[in-house]
Amino acid sequence: MKPVQLFCWHFMAYPYLDKDFDEKYDSGWVTVPNRLWDNDKARGLYREYIDQLAYADELGFDGMVLNEHHQNIYGLMPSPNLIAAALTQRTTRGKIVVLGNLLPLHLNPMRVAEEYAMLDQMSNGRLIAGFAPGGGPETFNYDVPSANSREKFWEAVDLIVRAWTEDGPFAHEGRYYPLRYVNPWPKPLQKPLPPIWIPGSRSASTLVEVAKRGFSFFLSSRSHGGETHKAQQQFAQVLAQHGDSYRPSRFGILMSAYVSESDRQAREECEEGVWYFLKNCLKGHLRREGRQLTFGPGVPYIPAPAWKEFLKNSQPGGRLLGDVANWEELDASQSIIVGSAETVYRRIWKMVEQAKAGNLLIQFHIGNMPAEITRKSMALFAKEVAPALREQSLKLFEQEFSAAAENQTAETVH
Amino acid sequence: MSGRLLQVDDRKVWLLEEGSGSPLLYLHGFADLHSVKENWLPFHERLLRKARVIAPAHPGCAQSEENGDVESVEDVVFHYLEVIDALGLKEFDLVGACVGGWIAAEIAVRHPEKIRQLVLVGAAGLFVEGAPIGDLFMMAQPERGLSYAGLRQMLFSSADHPKALEFFPDGRGGLEDELRRYQMLRFSSRIGFRPPYFYNRSLKNRLRRISAPALVLWGEEDHMVPLGHGETYAHSIPRAGLKVIQQAGHSVQVEMADLTAQMVLDFIADR
Repeated sequence: MKPVQLFCWHFMAYPYLDKDFDEKYDSGWVTVPNRLWDNDKARGLYREYIDQLAYADELGFDGMVLNEHHQNIYGLMPSPNLIAAALTQRTTRGKIVVLGNLLPLHLNPMRVAEEYAMLDQMSNGRLIAGFAPGGGPETFNYDVPSANSREKFWEAVDLIVRAWTEDGPFAHEGRYYPLRYVNPWPKPLQKPLPPIWIPGSRSASTLVEVAKRGFSFFLSSRSHGGETHKAQQQFAQVLAQHGDSYRPSRFGILMSAYVSESDRQAREECEEGVWYFLKNCLKGHLRREGRQLTFGPGVPYIPAPAWKEFLKNSQPGGRLLGDVANWEELDASQSIIVGSAETVYRRIWKMVEQAKAGNLLIQFHIGNMPAEITRKSMALFAKEVAPALREQSLKLFEQEFSAAAENQTAETVH
Repeated sequence: MSGRLLQVDDRKVWLLEEGSGSPLLYLHGFADLHSVKENWLPFHERLLRKARVIAPAHPGCAQSEENGDVESVEDVVFHYLEVIDALGLKEFDLVGACVGGWIAAEIAVRHPEKIRQLVLVGAAGLFVEGAPIGDLFMMAQPERGLSYAGLRQMLFSSADHPKALEFFPDGRGGLEDELRRYQMLRFSSRIGFRPPYFYNRSLKNRLRRISAPALVLWGEEDHMVPLGHGETYAHSIPRAGLKVIQQAGHSVQVEMADLTAQMVLDFIADR
C-alpha cells in the first residue's frame, strides 16, 4: 500500500498581461489576441517554469504534471511532450505525468504512442501516460467535430495500448484510424505498459470506459467537498460493477495550494496571483463573463438524452469558479487552499479523508505568481505538509483498503 | 399536426406531412420547424394550402433517430435518397433552407431527374472567396452563460427581431425547444463543423447538372451565409433566378413568411 502520492502540477500560464486585461478582453482562450505576447518579458519563461518542476523533483514530490492547452493564456503547453522531454533530462526521481495528450487533435494516434514510448525510455520508465479528448476550446481552435469525438477518442486509446502491448506489425481495422502497419519503435520501457490516467468529470460513461480498461481516473473538477466524495463513490461503484475494486491509487484530484509562514501572510503573498488566475486565465473557460467555450450547445459532444438531463439539472448562467466575488467564496470552494503549513495540511487531509484519493495533483504556481514565492511555497509544502499527509494517508489507506484488495500486479500496471 | 415516423431501412425518420397537390419535399434549417418548433411555421402553412408538403427531420433532429454513421453531407444525401424512395416520390419540388438548402443542392446535382423545381433559401454549401459562412457554433455558446444575442444576430436581420427572441430566447427556453435546438446543432456539426465549414468545394462545378428551374431566395442582410453565396448559386445553376428580400436576414422564411411563401408558390405554379 502506498501513501498519498503528491504531484506538482504546472499550467505554465502567460503571466505578463496588463492589469486591465479583464476589462479590455472577452476571453483568455482561443480568440485572445496573440499580439499581447511580449518577447522581452517572456524571454526565459519556459526555463523558469521547467526549473520550478525540476525543483519539485529535488524536493521529493512524487511527480510532475503537465497538460496540453492551445491558443490561450491559461496554459502555454500546446505540446506537453516537449516539456516532458526536457524533464527527462533535468530530473531523476519523480514520475512525469502528461495529463494528457489530446488524442482527437492528432491525425494519427500512433504519433502519441511513439512519443510517449520515447518519453518512457528517456525517463527510465517514469512516464504516466494521460489521454484526454479535449474540450470546447480545442473543438474550435483545432476544428475537432464533437459529435463522434468520444468514440474516436476511445478507439485511439485502445489502439495505443494495443501497439504498446502486442508485437507488431499488425493491421488496425478501426473506423477512425485504419492503419496497415502498426509497429512502433520504440515501445515503452515499463511492462506491460506505463500507467494510464484519464481525466474526466463525473460523466458516467467516462467512468465506465476507464473501469473497463483498468485505468486510473483523474477528476478534473476544480471544486471540492461533497461532489468529490460523490465522484469517488460513483467510481468505486462502477469498478465493483466491472469486477474490480477501488483503491486510492486509481483516483486523483486537482487543487491549488499556497503555503506560507502564517495564514495571513499566505493570503497576502498569493492573492495577486490567485486573482490573475481566476479573472484572466479562467476567462472563456470557467467564468461566465464573455463567452465560455468549454461546455455548451455549440460543442455538442454529448448525446441528446444526456443533454436533456443536463438541462433538467442545471440553471443557466450559473456561477463558475472564476466568478467568485470575494476571498471567502473562493475559500469555500476548496479549490485553492491557502494558509500556514498547519492550515493547508488540515484542509487537504480533510479532502483525502473524505475522497480517499490516492493521487493529489497540486498546482503551486498560480496565475502570475512570482518565482521566488512559488518556490518558497513548494518547499514549505514538501517540508511541513507532505510528511504528515503521507504518514496519515498510509495509515488510513491500510486500514480501509486491505492488502488483499491491493492486487500487486494491477498496482504495477496501472 | 400530422407527424409520423417513417421506417427507412433500419432507421426511423420523423416527418410532418400535410396538404394536397404535387409533392414538395422541405429540408429544414436552423430557425425552422423541427429545429425550434414541433409544428409547421406560418411559412409552411401557406405552402401546404397549395402543395403536399413533406418535411422530414434530419437524422437526430426531433424524433428522427440519430445516425452515428453520418460524417459528411454525402452520408446525408444517401439518407435522403432512401427517404425519397420510402415515400415513393418519383418527381417532386425540393425546397431547402440553410443546411437543408445545402443538402437539397447536393441531392439535385446527383439526381436532376427527380427534381421538378428547386428552391434554395439562404443555402449553405458553397465556398465563396472572401465571404466565409459565419461561425454558428461559436455563437451558440452563450455570453455570460445567458445571452444568445450573437446567435440571433447571425440567424436574423437583428438580434432583437421578435421571432429571433421567440425562437432563441436568452437563458433557458422550454425544455423540448432547448432540446430541439441542441439536436439540430449536433446534427449539423457532423457535416458542417470541420473545415470545410458548411461547404463542399466540389459542389459549385456540379451545379450545372441541375436541369430543373431553380429559385434562389436570400435575405439581403444574411449574417450567416452572405448574399454572395446566393449570387453564386444563381450564376452556377443553369435555369436559376435570384430573389433578394429586403430588410430580412438569414431566416427569410421566418422573418418574411408570407412574402417568401408567396414567392415559392408563384415560382412553383409558374412551371
